[in-house]
Amino acid sequence: MAYLSMGEAHRRITEYLNRFSDAVSYQNGISLKSLFSLSSNSHFLLSLSDALILVNDFNRLINQNDNYSHFSDIISPLFRSLQHYKQSNFVEAYNAFEKTANAFVQEFRNWESAWALEAVYVVVYEIRVLAEKADRQLAAIGKSPEKLKGAGSLLMKVFGILAVKGAKRVGALYVTCQLFKIYFKLGTVNLCRSIIRSIETATTIFDFEEFPNRDKVTYMYYTGRLEVFNENFPSADYKLSYALKHCNQQHEANIRMILKYLIPVKLSIGILPNHRLLEKYNLLEYGNIVQALKRGDPRLLRSALQYHEDWFLRSGVYLVLEKVELQVYQRLVKKIYIIQKQRDPSRAHQVKLEVIVKALKWLEIDMDVDEVECIMAILIYKNLVKGYFAHKSKVAVLSKQDPFPKLNGKPVNS
Amino acid sequence: MESGSGNPRSSFSQSRRQKFPLNASTATHHRSKVSTFSQRVTPPPTTGNNSNASTSDFNDDDSSFGVLLGTCSYMCPERERIQREKLRDLAVFERLNGNPRKSSPVLAVKKFCRTISIKDVQASDMRPLNVLEDTLNYLLGLLDSKEHPFEVVHDFIFDRTRSIRQDLTMQNIVNKKAIYMYEGMVKFHVISHHKLWGSMGDPNIASTHHLNMEQLTKTLSSLFNLYEANRNSNDVHENEAEFHSLYVLLNLGSHSKPMGEPLSLWFSHVSTSILKSKEMRFARRIVRSFRMGNYIDFFHTVAAEASYLQYCIMEPYINEVRSLALSYINFGGYKLHPYPLFKLSKHLMIEESDLESFCHSCGLETCTDESGNKLLHTKQTTFSHPKGGFQKYSFLGLQDYER
Repeated sequence: MAYLSMGEAHRRITEYLNRFSDAVSYQNGISLKSLFSLSSNSHFLLSLSDALILVNDFNRLINQNDNYSHFSDIISPLFRSLQHYKQSNFVEAYNAFEKTANAFVQEFRNWESAWALEAVYVVVYEIRVLAEKADRQLAAIGKSPEKLKGAGSLLMKVFGILAVKGAKRVGALYVTCQLFKIYFKLGTVNLCRSIIRSIETATTIFDFEEFPNRDKVTYMYYTGRLEVFNENFPSADYKLSYALKHCNQQHEANIRMILKYLIPVKLSIGILPNHRLLEKYNLLEYGNIVQALKRGDPRLLRSALQYHEDWFLRSGVYLVLEKVELQVYQRLVKKIYIIQKQRDPSRAHQVKLEVIVKALKWLEIDMDVDEVECIMAILIYKNLVKGYFAHKSKVAVLSKQDPFPKLNGKPVNS
Repeated sequence: MESGSGNPRSSFSQSRRQKFPLNASTATHHRSKVSTFSQRVTPPPTTGNNSNASTSDFNDDDSSFGVLLGTCSYMCPERERIQREKLRDLAVFERLNGNPRKSSPVLAVKKFCRTISIKDVQASDMRPLNVLEDTLNYLLGLLDSKEHPFEVVHDFIFDRTRSIRQDLTMQNIVNKKAIYMYEGMVKFHVISHHKLWGSMGDPNIASTHHLNMEQLTKTLSSLFNLYEANRNSNDVHENEAEFHSLYVLLNLGSHSKPMGEPLSLWFSHVSTSILKSKEMRFARRIVRSFRMGNYIDFFHTVAAEASYLQYCIMEPYINEVRSLALSYINFGGYKLHPYPLFKLSKHLMIEESDLESFCHSCGLETCTDESGNKLLHTKQTTFSHPKGGFQKYSFLGLQDYER
C-alpha cells in the first residue's frame, strides 16, 4: 500500500462526511446508497477504509461539524465496520454495521418521503451478506453462528417500518425477499408464514403489481417453493409460473432455479416438458423421469429417482417426483390397452391382471397379481382409470368412454 | 436400557468445555412450549432489554451456569423429599410401605419444576450425571410394573424424566452419555404412544396421549441436536438412523406435521449417510406406499422390516391404511364379485373376525355365502372412514415384537 499521509486520510474522511450530509440534504438516494455499500468494493470506500485505519479518532472529525454530528449514530459505527471489514474481521464488522442499520432505519422512519428507499435496500442487503460472512467465520472457530439469525430480527423491524406507510410500502417486498433468503438458509422457513400474511393483508388495499418487478419475481419464487414443500400444487404452479413469466429472460441462472421447482410441479399435474428445455437449462436430472412417464416404465422411474436421489432430496422435490408413480402405471395400462386394441378392438377394454404382471416382469419388476389388483383399485379410485376390477376373474374392465382421463392441470385426487 | 453401562471415563469436564449451538436451545428447553427441530436456530429469550442483544451475551451467561456441578447423590434432593413428605405430595411409587407421608431416598425421585430460575439453583438440588443415569434406569425399570394401571406408571415416569432432562440441561451435559439417556427417554415416549393409543376412547387418556406426543417430539429434536453436537466428521451414531426414521414415520400423513416441518424440507438437510441407512430406507418405503395407498406393499414392508419402536409410531396409521384399502376395493370392485374377507384379511394382516367388525365401523355390510365364506359386497354407498377409530384390531405382524 502506498504511503498515506495523515492529511490525506483526514481529507478522505471529510470527503465522505460531506458526501453523506449532501446526499441527505439534497435527498439524493443514489448517492446515499453508494455510501453504505460495503461489499461493492468501490474505490471510494476502499480508500476511505485505508484512511480510517490510520485515523483512530475519527469521531472527533464527525463531531466537529453539526452537519455530520447529527448522523454520528449512523456514521461512527459504519466507520468502525469499515475498519473491520477491511481487515476481513467480519464478526466485528457485522456487529458495528448492525448499529448503523438500526440508527439509519430510525432516521428513515422519521423522514416523510421515501426518497432514501434505495439506501434502505442496500443496508438490508449488506446486513444479510455480512451476517453470512460473519457466521462462516464463527463456525470456522467452533462458535455458534448466530449473526444471520440476528439479521433476521433486524430485517423484521425494517419490514415493520416499511409495511405501514404509503410511499414506503413498495419497499416492503424487497425486505421480504431478503428475509426469505435468510429463513431458507437457516432452515426456519416456517417463519416466512407471518410475513406472507402481512404481504397478503397489505395487498388487499395495495395492488401487488405496484411492487418492483424484481421483487415480485423473487417473492413468487420463494412462496412457490413453500407451496411445493406443502404439496399444494395448483398454487405452486401459479406462483412459479408467474415468476417464470416475469423473470428477466437474460437471467438464465434465475430461470433455471425457477424451472427446477416448476418442472416437478408440472409433472405432478400431468404436463411434461420437452427435452430441449431440459437441455437448455441444464436440468437433465429430470430427463429420465419424463421418459418414464412417456413410456409408462416404472422401472425407469425408480432408477431415475435413485440415480439422482441426493440432488432430488436436497432440492426438496424427491417426494413430489415419487408421487408421479401412479401416472406411470396409468400410462403402462394405457399402452397395454392400445396394443390389445390393435389386435382385437372388441375385447380391448378387458385387461387381464396377469397381462400387467407379465408386462412388469418384462420390465424386471416383480409384482404379484394381488399388488397389481391393488394398483388398479387405486388408479380407478383416483380417476386415472375409468372402469372396475373383477376380483374373481382377475380382470380390469375399462370404460368404453375415456378410459384414461387426463389430469388437465389438476393434481391426482388424494 | 444400555445407558447405565456407558464407558467409565467421565466426560463431565469435557462436556463443559464444549460450546455448542445446542447450549442455547436446550437451556430454554423447559421454557419453550413447542420445540421443533428448528429450535436450534430460534433465538433464546434474552435477558437484556436491548432487542439487539446478540446471543453471544447469552452464551457468556451460559458458560457461567455451565460451571454448575450437581452434588445431590440421591434421586431426589433431601430438601425436596422432606418437604413433599410434609405436604403429602408423594406419588404411589414413592411411598414407603404405602404411607402417603413417608418416603425414602431409594423411592423418592425429583419432580419436574416448571418455574425454575437458574439463579435459585443450588448444587445440592442438582444431580450429577451418574446419579441421573441411575435415576433414569430406575424409572424405566418401572415401565414393566404390572401393579398399577399404565396411565399411573406413565404419569410418574413422564414427570420424572422431564426433571432429568432439566438437570441435564442446567448442568449443560451434552456428551455421549446424554445421547444414551435421551434415546432411552424417547423410547419411553414411543412405547407410551403405542400403549396409550389402545385406550384413546377415554378423554383423559386422549389428552395424556397428546401430552406424550408433545414431549416425544421435543425429546426427539433435542436428541437430534445432541447427535449434531457430538459429531466428529461424518460418522453416524449407533442408533441415529433408527431415531431419524421415527421422525419420518411421525410425519407420514401429509397433513400431520407434529414436528412442524414438511418432510420434503426435512429431507433436504438430513445427512446422506442417514438417508441411505437401512432404517431410513424402510421409513421412506413406508412413506411411498402410504402416500400412494399401496396397502399390499405397506403391510408387506411393515411386517417384514419394522422394528418395535417403528411399529409403535406407525400403529395409528395401520387402520388408516386398512380403511383406505376398503374404500378402494369398495369403489372399484365389480358389483357381482364380492370380495372374500379371508383374502382381504391376509392383505391387511388382520384377523378375519376383526376385519368384519372393521368393515362395519366403516359403514360397510358383510355377508356369508352358501359355503360359509364371509364376503364384502362392493359399490356400497355407505362407506365412511371410521371416526375416532381408536379401537384396537389385531395386527398379525406383531407377534414377533411382543417381548
